[in-house]
Amino acid sequence: MNIIVCVKQVLDPEIPPAKFKIDPETKQVIPPPGVPPVISVYDERAVEAACRLKDKLKGKITVISVGSDKAADVIKHAISMGADEGFVLCDPAFENLDSFGTAYVLSKAIQKIGAYDLVLCGRQAADWGAGQVGSILAEILAIPVITLACDIEGVDTNVRVKRIVSDGYEIVEAPLPSLVTVSSEIGLPRLPAGVRLMMARKKVIPVWKAQDIGAEASQLDKGNAHTEITGLSVPTRKIECEIITGATPGEAAANLASKLANLI
Amino acid sequence: MSPVSATYWGIPGYVIFWVLFVIAAGLFAKRIYFLFRLMRLGKQENRFDHMGQRIKNVLFVILPQWCTLRSVTKKDLAGIGHALLFWGFSCFLVSYIVFIGLAEGFGLYPWLMGNNFETVFSSILDIAGLCVMAAMIWAAIRRYIVRPERLELSVEAGVIMVLVFSLMVLHFGIEGFGLAGSGETTNWPPIGSVIANYLSSTGISKNTLITVSQGAWWLHYLVILGFTVYIPRSKHLHILASGANILFKPLASKVVLEPIPLEALEAMESEGSVDLGASKIQDFTWKDLLDLYACTVCGRCHVSCPAHVSGKTLSPKEVIHDLKEHLLEEGPGLLAGNAQATSESPAKTMIGDVIAEEDIWACTTCGACQEVCPVDIEHVRKIIKMRQNLVLAQNKMPESAQLMLRNMQTRGNPWAGAQSLRLRGDWTHDMGLKILGQYEGRVDTLFWVGCTGALIDRNVEATLSLTRVLKAAGVDFGVLGEAEPCCGDPARRAGYEFQFQISAEENIETFKNYNIKKIITSCPHCYNTLKNEYPRYGGDFFEVVHYTELLADLITRGKLKLTNKLNTLLTYHDPCYLSRYNEVFREPRQIIEGIPNAKFKEMERSKNTTFCCGGGGGHMWIEEQHGTTKINHVRMDEVIGTGAETVVTSCPYCLQMLEEGIEQKGVKDSLKAKDLAELVEEAMNQS
Repeated sequence: MNIIVCVKQVLDPEIPPAKFKIDPETKQVIPPPGVPPVISVYDERAVEAACRLKDKLKGKITVISVGSDKAADVIKHAISMGADEGFVLCDPAFENLDSFGTAYVLSKAIQKIGAYDLVLCGRQAADWGAGQVGSILAEILAIPVITLACDIEGVDTNVRVKRIVSDGYEIVEAPLPSLVTVSSEIGLPRLPAGVRLMMARKKVIPVWKAQDIGAEASQLDKGNAHTEITGLSVPTRKIECEIITGATPGEAAANLASKLANLI
Repeated sequence: MSPVSATYWGIPGYVIFWVLFVIAAGLFAKRIYFLFRLMRLGKQENRFDHMGQRIKNVLFVILPQWCTLRSVTKKDLAGIGHALLFWGFSCFLVSYIVFIGLAEGFGLYPWLMGNNFETVFSSILDIAGLCVMAAMIWAAIRRYIVRPERLELSVEAGVIMVLVFSLMVLHFGIEGFGLAGSGETTNWPPIGSVIANYLSSTGISKNTLITVSQGAWWLHYLVILGFTVYIPRSKHLHILASGANILFKPLASKVVLEPIPLEALEAMESEGSVDLGASKIQDFTWKDLLDLYACTVCGRCHVSCPAHVSGKTLSPKEVIHDLKEHLLEEGPGLLAGNAQATSESPAKTMIGDVIAEEDIWACTTCGACQEVCPVDIEHVRKIIKMRQNLVLAQNKMPESAQLMLRNMQTRGNPWAGAQSLRLRGDWTHDMGLKILGQYEGRVDTLFWVGCTGALIDRNVEATLSLTRVLKAAGVDFGVLGEAEPCCGDPARRAGYEFQFQISAEENIETFKNYNIKKIITSCPHCYNTLKNEYPRYGGDFFEVVHYTELLADLITRGKLKLTNKLNTLLTYHDPCYLSRYNEVFREPRQIIEGIPNAKFKEMERSKNTTFCCGGGGGHMWIEEQHGTTKINHVRMDEVIGTGAETVVTSCPYCLQMLEEGIEQKGVKDSLKAKDLAELVEEAMNQS
């Protein structure tokens, strides 16, 4: 099974909240110093899902990422987990694209790669969390899409997906090629180990520009974007703490209960 | 007449002598050859460097019995017994060669016996015999009457004690009956002559006396041969293997981990079988296997292991013993050439069946086991090699370990996430430091802070104290600030060898780029890694000092003056990676002793035999298993036992572990934990 995984490099979500800074003027996040960006957590699980399919069914995993030249690191990370090759899609025209623009760039790269059975994406990016790219990409590629997968199985010429729904899960099948977006319930990604970790490090990741994949300037024009950021702010959280007392533990519990009753 | 020159049932004595000898020697050689071949199943490792130094080690450690005497404490005097046995039995060993081999076997008795040489030698043997008998009685009491925790009852020990004791009894018998039978009256040798004089006075006929003496001689000879055959088949193999083990012990650093060469990796990858670290007994090196032969199950490691003491199932003694049993079980199959079949479907898996995964993860790599081991067994690296297999080949590890290793791999330090509220370079703000990469001038000394000292609030306080102390003393140094990554130690101890190799290579490159000549470390784990492990990766162009060494030197040279009086009772907790791994324990004490008015109380387990805080070997992040208690609580009880008001240490992990212990034990009003740098800052004249 030949699988293409789309991954994104994001600001490390594990940075201390107090260190998260934005610039409201340019409506952009200011990355804190000395913190390397990481692979988006859901995308890492998509790579894990691809590796599990490869472990069972053999085949090839190709990873692509729209981003800066630093995005080679996340491709290397995916290769160290078990992917075979990868490409960075980097061009000034690709900067600050919305979900539609990103999906368009990915679709052009996928068309350039050629034959594939399955495209995997994370359910959403760990930074903006829009969760749109996967579905739009499937639309452009004109293939079925199944979102929020927690288990993926290849069955003959179909893909069978267990997907999360609000009250449990459902099992859906679609013919190959299809696109599946992967949720964190699929399980912990493997720790890159062994040979791959050392080899991935030395690998040179090819960079594709707009002209390499035949992306049209009109499609990338910011003026044609479907979404616009009108404002960016860090939400403020207010925590009030009150210690409920009482002469006895029983009385304290009663006081707490009446306090809670009043709140509701 | 010599027993060998007599004729028995028509057969000349010397024929019987040599036939028996050849049988015993054959059985001995057969077993030794078998054990040697088993050992050769292990991987290659070069331990043949500095042979002069190595031979000197063996002579200076074994002959004066420093191997066992060094671990003698008030509570455990057994090393003295072993020394008596060793010296006494060595005399007998020489006598067997001289009097049995040369005199009887080769007929040289006219020159060797019946003269002053024999009298003097026999007198020495009499004293030696008493020593050996005393040691045997002592050993029997310690096994069958008051048995300390570290010893276990074994048939093998009983057999050996009976054999050795009977050899001594027979020695006195041969001598006493022989002297009495010869009719001489003499006062030498001292014990033999007393027995002889008594026997003469009983009026037993000379012929009977001589017959008994000769009978005892033959029995004695049989026991010696039996002993020779039995030794390599029992735990007393250590008599033969421990000398070799001490000869091949690691010289440069106490825990030697071999790099995994990339070529080997690529070969494995192309074959499609990635088997890293040790999952099978033959994955260890020959030296690891020699270790197994050298173990005599004395149990010193067992009672000093923090995991065992705090009630976990890990016991370093059991690990070594179980691996030896496993080698002896699997070995014949492997030697028979069906190595492939055995390794693919072994009756028992080494990891899992022989050594429990839980035990592999319980080790803090503190090295207490190795420090007390009289025969220099390397326990820690075997555990790490098994971890390597779990992490690199099987992707099996506790979730807490995986989280830490993942952080190391993606974020460059083990602390990322909710555990840290800081960014790497935050601590340098407003300190007026020379940050490499930003500072334009030249600095050739680097202060390597370490992840914990840069990221965890409590440890940052200690880092800031040390920075101010260094500046006050006029030390010219730079820091890497936000660009400082992890040294790789937690990854390596947790078995994630490649991440360590990557860290090492990248850091060495950085040191090279900035032309670093000297590195000051505050964390003993970084210290050990940079000093002892980076040279294997090309990092041999810089000097590494721990800050305690540097401060002690600054005080000696008068650059740093401790003038403020601190009226307090202190104790010092030695970090394993400083005091045990690197023998830096004088300097911290020198600093503490220089503080006016401070009183110092030593803990019983201190210096190189310190007790782990529980944070080493990746255990700062790997969740501690359930035992009867926690490792740092055991240590905290010892700290509280000194009555000290302040416990001082010089390791960021230890500091955290001690503070947690103080909190848990509810003694924070009477006891504080401090880093030595903080104490020095308090004692400094801050004018």
